[in-house]
Amino acid sequence: MNPIIQAEDVWKKYKIPHERRTTLFEHVGGILEVLGGRQVTYEEFWALKEIDFSVEPGESIGIIGDNGSGKSTLLKIIAMILRPTRGRVRVYGKVAPILELGVGFHPDLTVEENILVYGSIMGLKNSEVKKRMEPILKFSGVERFRDAKLKNLSSGMQMRLGFSVAIETNPDVFLIDEALTVGDIDFQQKCIDKFKQFKAEKKTIILVSHALGLVEDFCEKTVLLSKGEMAGFGPTAYVVDQYQGLARGS
Amino acid sequence: MLAILTLVFSTLLRAGIDNFSVFLLPALLAWRFFSIGTSMSLASILGNAPLVTKVYFPRWLLVLSSNLANLIGSSLEFAVLLPLLVFLGMAPTLLTLLLPVIIILELILIVGISFLLSSLNVYYRDINQIWDIALQAGFFLTPIIYSSSLIPERYLPLYSLNPMMRIVESLRKALYYNILPTIEDLSIPLLIGLLFCLVGYRVFSKLEPRFAEVI
Repeated sequence: MNPIIQAEDVWKKYKIPHERRTTLFEHVGGILEVLGGRQVTYEEFWALKEIDFSVEPGESIGIIGDNGSGKSTLLKIIAMILRPTRGRVRVYGKVAPILELGVGFHPDLTVEENILVYGSIMGLKNSEVKKRMEPILKFSGVERFRDAKLKNLSSGMQMRLGFSVAIETNPDVFLIDEALTVGDIDFQQKCIDKFKQFKAEKKTIILVSHALGLVEDFCEKTVLLSKGEMAGFGPTAYVVDQYQGLARGS
Repeated sequence: MLAILTLVFSTLLRAGIDNFSVFLLPALLAWRFFSIGTSMSLASILGNAPLVTKVYFPRWLLVLSSNLANLIGSSLEFAVLLPLLVFLGMAPTLLTLLLPVIIILELILIVGISFLLSSLNVYYRDINQIWDIALQAGFFLTPIIYSSSLIPERYLPLYSLNPMMRIVESLRKALYYNILPTIEDLSIPLLIGLLFCLVGYRVFSKLEPRFAEVI
């Protein structure tokens, strides 16, 4: 079977200049100084090195690792927000990135209007969102407030709404960055049930999390990142052990 | 703004221009279209940083949407101008039909400049301030509150390089003087506008891949 996501030799470099110039004014001065013989120095920082893996349809992948090990960078590259310096990631299917909930929410619009806005940001047509309006409202549990302005909802409710829209976009691949921690226990359970349903439907979930238990529950395979390098890739139980071993060792 | 300028120039300074409001209004509206349009889209990428760093979509949509919003706003302003012209007996004439043509010419120019400014603004944050000052200078370098006939002959070639000068002149000829704008009046802003679109879009697509990192 063809993989649904394929990362081929992905590298990502960030430049950390020793002197940061963010204005044109500073730049003009800087160019004059460089012409006068001063060296421009910056440090290269490889956030990702030689990442190579592929995901089969229906498989779910966890991405674990220490803070700053490149997990989010990898997720953003898969979501096409960032471009790799070298190599490439190919995704065959529709992706719903849930890197942050409620991107594009506007406090002064009503709940329904916000669902339309967020739905189109997630890549749905207006008519498609309208068709899914009822399930979205039902899942979020804020049906009663459909005509209320978003700012009058509690922040937890807003997050639930965002999550519900993202879930109803019905993508082939879910990219989730620590988003499951929103909502009360009841809602978390609802989300977990929904994800189980997705897995049954052979959809792919990519989960970045420090909650190792959650990763073990959902993902067959896991990528372990350590300082931008792929320290491990394989069955989740094995890689989680490896990670815990690393953590203890250091 | 219109009321203040009309009062200052027609009553206090006695500039001696008949129907000063019709002389001023089209030019002023065209300038507002330009200055609000460019400064709105200048901030369109940076102002939507949360979107740019969290979701992927073609970034030029942001520039386009701010320009469309501005086009709607300005069209409404121009729509208010028409009844005034009719009331003063200066419209409708065949030349009134040039108004939408000139607005489209101006839109092309604005979109071109927007691509350039919005993408550069991600890398150089002071473009915003620089552009503010450029706009203020532009307001006086464009015949909005005065007539271009005041400009000395020898500065005229340089003065008419300003595409907004041509646009304002065309509008004024069509709506105020009731004469046909020359071919240069219309073609020069179009050419400059298309040039800006070409250069602007190239710069934009070159810088676009790293927006999410730099922002």
